[in-house]
Amino acid sequence: MSMIKTNNARPVLGTLAVLGYIIMIVPILFVVSTAFSTGRTVSFPPKGFTLDWFGAALGNNTFMSSLGQSLQLALIATVIALAIGVPATIAMHRGKIPGKSLVQGLFLSPLVVPELVVGLALYQQIMVVLGQSNSIALLIGHTAILLPYAVRVTGASLALADPAIEEAARGLGASPLRAFFTVTLPLLRPGIFSAALLSFVTSFNNVPLSLLLQDRSFRTLPVTMLDYIQQNYDPTIAAMSTLLLAATVVVAIIAERTVGFAKIFGGINK
Amino acid sequence: MIPAAEFVGVTQAYGDFLAVDNLDLTIEEGKLTTLLGPSGCGKTTSLRMLAGYARPTAGKILIGGEDATALPPEKRGLGMVFQSYALFPHLTVADNVGYGLKLRKVPAAERKARVTEALELVGLGHLAARKPKALSGGQQQRVALARAIAIRPKLLLLDEPLSNLDARLRVQMRAEIRRIQAETGLTVVLVTHDQDEALEMSDTMVLMRAGKVMQTGAPDEVFPAPANRFVAEFLGYENFIPTAEGLFTVRPEQLQIASADATTPGLNLDGVITSSAYRGVDLVVGVDASAPGGETVPLISVLRRDALPAGHTGFTPGERISVTAPAPALVHLSE
Ligand SMILES: Nc1ncnc2c1ncn2[C@@H]1O[C@H](COP(=O)(O)OP(=O)(O)OP(=O)(O)O)[C@@H](O)[C@H]1O
Ligand SMILES: [Mg+2]
Repeated sequence: MSMIKTNNARPVLGTLAVLGYIIMIVPILFVVSTAFSTGRTVSFPPKGFTLDWFGAALGNNTFMSSLGQSLQLALIATVIALAIGVPATIAMHRGKIPGKSLVQGLFLSPLVVPELVVGLALYQQIMVVLGQSNSIALLIGHTAILLPYAVRVTGASLALADPAIEEAARGLGASPLRAFFTVTLPLLRPGIFSAALLSFVTSFNNVPLSLLLQDRSFRTLPVTMLDYIQQNYDPTIAAMSTLLLAATVVVAIIAERTVGFAKIFGGINK
Repeated sequence: MIPAAEFVGVTQAYGDFLAVDNLDLTIEEGKLTTLLGPSGCGKTTSLRMLAGYARPTAGKILIGGEDATALPPEKRGLGMVFQSYALFPHLTVADNVGYGLKLRKVPAAERKARVTEALELVGLGHLAARKPKALSGGQQQRVALARAIAIRPKLLLLDEPLSNLDARLRVQMRAEIRRIQAETGLTVVLVTHDQDEALEMSDTMVLMRAGKVMQTGAPDEVFPAPANRFVAEFLGYENFIPTAEGLFTVRPEQLQIASADATTPGLNLDGVITSSAYRGVDLVVGVDASAPGGETVPLISVLRRDALPAGHTGFTPGERISVTAPAPALVHLSE
């Protein structure tokens, strides 16, 4: 019975998969091809071939400075999210903290609360009430939205690890701290690496929060690009997007080589 | 001589539930003691309390005559083999085995020698450079054993070490563990729910039920004289016959069936065949017998087919026969 069902479902699934790929890939192809166009506006089909727009993108000071700021923000937010999230996950899995499900809910809540709401709350509290700069607000906001990734992905790899392994280390003479650093942490390394990667990408690509908390002194790349296309329609933006795409592909390849996608994304689906 | 370890009135409670209930137990130096009992009777819990992974709710645990109740596992110096083996997946076989020695700051040269020695002992010297993932279940089990032995533990604790292995390897490893125990002179505590394993391997077997000890003794003391019905059932006695003198039990292989009145001295009962099934070398026969008090009790007899009269193919249900439990095979149950 089940075999027949699978066979019947296959053409539908297959069609859906192909459709999915088309929907994902066509806009990308569109953007990439226009980046090499000699035309003065983003248009399809592209005319001629030039690398000038890449030069323009890389020579654009606004782009480059906000790229630096975006990378900086993503890096720091990722480090803080992991520094809070990883120990919290371990504590939650060890089950020795009171109100476990409440704490768990707290860590995962940014996943459910719309980012605009988070952004607005941060704007009011941190910038208006406490009078802090927008970079502080952005950092706190990004850390908050990254926490669920840190908690869930490391949690998934922790759940897979046999708790007896750490006990075995204790039995062989390791103090709790020693057992953690020589056994538990190495076991969690792929999970932490995945969490870091996902967090970094999530922060780097974030628009809603960054849009709400931007100002002249600190602005992330996606927001800058958004601003740019409101005033210009030349292929510089396509070239910048293509560069980002290429960088993402490189990161993805490194991730695949070192940990593997199944492992990275297996963590989120759990 | 001071016992290797002792449980003194040890209880482990989870809420109202007593996983281990006022356990008194002595683990003798240099002996192999097995904790035997059905699933959930508290074997693992007892072993974990001995190893220091669980703190008793009440009572004391002595190791080498000293109170170890409050000592953390790393201060007890015991070697434990977990049911899941719990090898360190990121370390090679040699580094797994050397882990405890490194923590003890054993110099590199001596460490290497002791790792090799432990691996040779379990017959895995040639796999030292492998990662655990690249080993079979049986090989992983041996690495876990070598890792526990390498630290020269005061006691070696094994929690169902053979249950993940296939039937043939399991039987082979029983002898292997006995050999290692004899060669090292280690005191071993082994948890199992397999009575054959316990009978074959133990110096002392401890039968447990619902957190309590039912009977303790050498296999050749316990097997012929189970203390109560629970122990008897667990050791494969299947026939229970109430009489005026109390409850008797007899193993199915020893219950005889005769068409005419039997002459063997023992307990003779009239009965009716209820089933008769072929099982290779044996014939498995069910009988409803009338116990001396008049009560009808279901009995099972396992007869060797080559001992049956030529041409005998089995019994037919409804057939009236008489069953005999020969006097030497009859065991009186005191409880
Ligand atoms: N952390 C716990 N909380 C509540 N009950 C527990 C806990 N750990 C064990 N138990 C219960 O204690 C009893 C004894 O458990 P234990 O693991 O010692 O059994 P066992 O004899 O080793 O059984 P098995 O042969 O299945 O391994 C079981 O009924 C189990 O459900
Ligand atoms: Mg158990």
